[in-house]
Amino acid sequence: MLLPRFELHRPSSVDEALTIAARHAGDCDFIAGGTDLLQNYKNRLNPRGHVVSLLGIDALQELSPTRIGALTTLARIEESETMRRELPILVEAASKVASPLVRQTATLGGNLLVETRCYYFNQSEFWRRSKGYCLKAEGDVCLVVPQKETCYAAFSGDMAPALMALGASARLKSLDGERIVKLTEFYEGDGIKRYVLRPGELVQGVELPPSATSLRGAYRKLRLRDTFDYPELGLAVTLGMEGEKIRELHVCAAAMETVPLCFDDLTGSLHGQPLSDSLIQLLGERIVKRVKPVKNTALSPNYRRKMVMVYLRRMLEQLATAGN
Amino acid sequence: MSEPKSGAAKGVIGQRLPLVDARKKTTGEAVYTDDIRLPNTLVGKILRSPHAHARIKGIDTSRALALPGVAAVVTGAENRANFGVLPISKDETALAVDKVIFVGDQVAAVAAEDEEIALEALGLIQVDYEVYPAFLQPEDSLKDVADPAHKIHARTVGETNVHKQVDQHFGDVDAALKDARIVRRGHFEFGSVTHAFTEPHCVIARYDTDGKLTLWSATQVPHYVHRALVEVTGLPMHAIRVIKPMVGGAFGGKSDPFPHEMAAALLSMKSGRPVKILFDREEVFLSHHGRHPTKTDIAVALDRDGKISGLDLKVLIDGGAWGSFGVVTTYYNGVLSAGPYDVSNFRYSGKRVYTNKPPCGAMRGHGAVNSRFAFEVLLDEIAEELGEDPCELRLKNFLPEYTTTINEFRITSNGIAEGMLRAMERSGWKEKYRQLPPGRGIGAACGFYISGSALPIHWSKLPQSTVHLKIDMDGGVTVHAGTADIGQGSDTMLAQCVAQVLGLPMSRLRVYTADSDMDPVDLGSYSSRVTFMAGNAARRAAEQIRTELIEAASRLTGYPAEGFVLEDELVVYTPLPRIRMSYMEALTEALADRGALIARGSYQSPPMGGKFKGAAAGLSPTYSFQSYISEVTVDEETGFVKVEKVWAAHDCGRALNPIAVEGQVEGSIHMGLGQLLSEQFRYHDGNVLNPNLLDYKTLSAKEMPEVECILIESGDPEGPFGAKECGEGPLLPILPSVANAIHDAVGVRIRRLPVTPEDILQGIQKNRMERSDVAAKIRVA
Repeated sequence: MLLPRFELHRPSSVDEALTIAARHAGDCDFIAGGTDLLQNYKNRLNPRGHVVSLLGIDALQELSPTRIGALTTLARIEESETMRRELPILVEAASKVASPLVRQTATLGGNLLVETRCYYFNQSEFWRRSKGYCLKAEGDVCLVVPQKETCYAAFSGDMAPALMALGASARLKSLDGERIVKLTEFYEGDGIKRYVLRPGELVQGVELPPSATSLRGAYRKLRLRDTFDYPELGLAVTLGMEGEKIRELHVCAAAMETVPLCFDDLTGSLHGQPLSDSLIQLLGERIVKRVKPVKNTALSPNYRRKMVMVYLRRMLEQLATAGN
Repeated sequence: MSEPKSGAAKGVIGQRLPLVDARKKTTGEAVYTDDIRLPNTLVGKILRSPHAHARIKGIDTSRALALPGVAAVVTGAENRANFGVLPISKDETALAVDKVIFVGDQVAAVAAEDEEIALEALGLIQVDYEVYPAFLQPEDSLKDVADPAHKIHARTVGETNVHKQVDQHFGDVDAALKDARIVRRGHFEFGSVTHAFTEPHCVIARYDTDGKLTLWSATQVPHYVHRALVEVTGLPMHAIRVIKPMVGGAFGGKSDPFPHEMAAALLSMKSGRPVKILFDREEVFLSHHGRHPTKTDIAVALDRDGKISGLDLKVLIDGGAWGSFGVVTTYYNGVLSAGPYDVSNFRYSGKRVYTNKPPCGAMRGHGAVNSRFAFEVLLDEIAEELGEDPCELRLKNFLPEYTTTINEFRITSNGIAEGMLRAMERSGWKEKYRQLPPGRGIGAACGFYISGSALPIHWSKLPQSTVHLKIDMDGGVTVHAGTADIGQGSDTMLAQCVAQVLGLPMSRLRVYTADSDMDPVDLGSYSSRVTFMAGNAARRAAEQIRTELIEAASRLTGYPAEGFVLEDELVVYTPLPRIRMSYMEALTEALADRGALIARGSYQSPPMGGKFKGAAAGLSPTYSFQSYISEVTVDEETGFVKVEKVWAAHDCGRALNPIAVEGQVEGSIHMGLGQLLSEQFRYHDGNVLNPNLLDYKTLSAKEMPEVECILIESGDPEGPFGAKECGEGPLLPILPSVANAIHDAVGVRIRRLPVTPEDILQGIQKNRMERSDVAAKIRVA
């Protein structure tokens, strides 16, 4: 398939990138690995006339347990001994994205901002035209849940829930300056709006609290095949224990809705309690009741919700024993 | 560099040899159709229907033609010639004529200087449609249409959209069902699966100033493409040359002559320039021609002696938009169920209907897979109900070798019982069946398949395969054949057959195939016919050359020709082995005063089969046989199935090249597991919802089980060196053996494919509820 024509800009600094983006405001995308963006461009999904490549900006390449640059490839995270020792949950999440070949190119920033996905959106121009397009690209009606207000495309990144569960924040920069936004507050809105990123603003990377390395963490991904596939459910759990009692517990999920979800409001009240079967059951039931996947991926919404409970229990049992 | 010792005394047959094109393919040196760059080539693009069913009221191509860089545009109005792979259902045209019948149907084709211009031109073509009601469910196509215009094709059964109906009855099935010790019935539904080969369809057509049309295409049957081009272009057959370059997989999906091939030819004839059409992946999915979805009702009866006394099959087959191989499919869904067991009464009723969806066609295991699944699952259920071992039940019912089936298939070599016994022994079946812990299970299933369709599609006295050989003073052996190597290794097979007869190493062989100007006609790579038919032709050609070399050696030495053999690049007089000479010495003598040695070998199936209507369907000069045992783990909380190991016994007659046979078995298992567990066309109205490799869900290497190939060499009396097919039969038993293993693991029976983790989980939960109901009743009592 042919890419649409666009002008490619190759700045060597963040400021230069932001300046170019501002000059072409509204008709510009940033590109890193391109594994998501270019495929969507080929399908004529919201292509822009200007594309700013970030690959020449060395400052965005850093990788440490407290700071990860947006340009860090998922393969680098996966292969990092330091990360495996300090934050194995991120290695686990990175190693489950797409395929080994894609991970050589795909970046952390790209995975955080990965385009939301839906059977009715991720189609060729020919396909979408034959159906009269959809809300998320060129049309005005959602083909999954017929109405004109909300896009239900699913957030399909694996890194965001894992990073959220570690308390990570996004480091944003625009011509107005830098700001730090907790990832739990970064994502909001429907399948089109998705996050609080302002026009012309760039994700430089994430930063993690030093205490993150003290948490035990796990990431599990529901999908038909153990490679290639986007998550049908991506569940991240982090746990800190004080003796037999929960010191800290975070549960975050991808692919359930249009943004990654964090259930701190349900887990916060559990701090100080012993991690029991009944506690896990109750927490699972509350989360299952909360999530509202729709029928726009391979597995049924009902099944995906059911698996939240199974995964949560297995992961908490694993994390509980991992510390002993 | 030292020569590999592949030409050692034993010869090259039975050796584990890399395929002759393996190096070129792995290094990227191999030339596929898209790699061919002819000067002045135009890019061809196709405008496709956005509607599942609509009348074309008008097409205006004037704006496209006016676009600078556009060289030619063709529409169906300019060429209404019908073609199709089967002479009995030629219902295709190069481009849609008067109406479109599925989303993706070809409406117009453009040839332009580059892809961007071609795509822009497609957007400038105005098509005015009158949308018709779409027939998307096969049941709807059984009914009379409200308006004759709504018939998908003119030629159908009455006023319905039924394409083909087959009714066959052997013996008395009703009596068998009545007198049976046990009868099991089932309704099964099978989703739509496609080949998912690596290389997208690609074609280059060049109509030159001499009035000659050359077509390079990724096809598995150059000869049928050749025939179709005659019908569409009106050119004489000798003015058309069809060449198949390297093909990146086909599995049946490149065995029809295709409308895009016809469109490329028409565009080249119109523009006078070469035209290349390369599909994107969505176009491959829309072009489809994959396995027919079926709804299968089946009853199996076992008599008081434990023999299969009745098989009653009723199948509704969703054909999609075109006939393709569908008449054959309609027969195969029935007739290929008449073995590998001795079925004493058999009835089949099959209906194939047209629907407004991408056309179905031939796919690995053509026609046999779904009915086989239903049959093998019911046999497992019968065994369970009787408390018998399902492998023992099968062993009691296998057809013997050298026999005739109820529908008069001639069975020759048959190693199925040996395969079953060896798979049982290797898998530890007796210790595992019904004895593995919960969540772990083992299951068995069998199959058999044709080794080449005995009757050609086009009635003709021509041989089904012909091979030409040439040896000149350089000592290399040139093999010419019309066979299509589509990755299965038929070029290697030809070289091996010739090298074996002539006692030569593979390095002396050079194989040129699938070029209609250079090579003799071969019917192509379908129905698992190539090893058996072309292999025999190659062997026969080589035997003539062998005779000439031996006669030369006899002349040079004065010893009688009868005592000479060719081995290890030597011609040896066996009564006195010191009387010998090199192959080159014998060759030089043979060439003297005459020039190059040339020979022709051919193959034609012997007459066989019954006299009843449809008797020819499923006839084959021999059949392959399979006995599989699969072991699985099922996650009882998620419903996910992990296939741990497969013991795959396959009777291939003789493994000419064990690596190649094992590759076919493993590939078949991968493909069959996809149909069972994950693959399917999803639809939104008439649109395929997942026309890409990400969403279609072919299984990955990670889901692939360990496979232990158990090659059974029954030695077929008519096969080349005893060989028969290995490309399709090995797919059949993997689906039911895993389904039966899933039942052994978690007690869930599968009635609908693909079976999702959710289906299995629901089955497990239903079983639990039933068990707790029973427990509750016991408590109450």
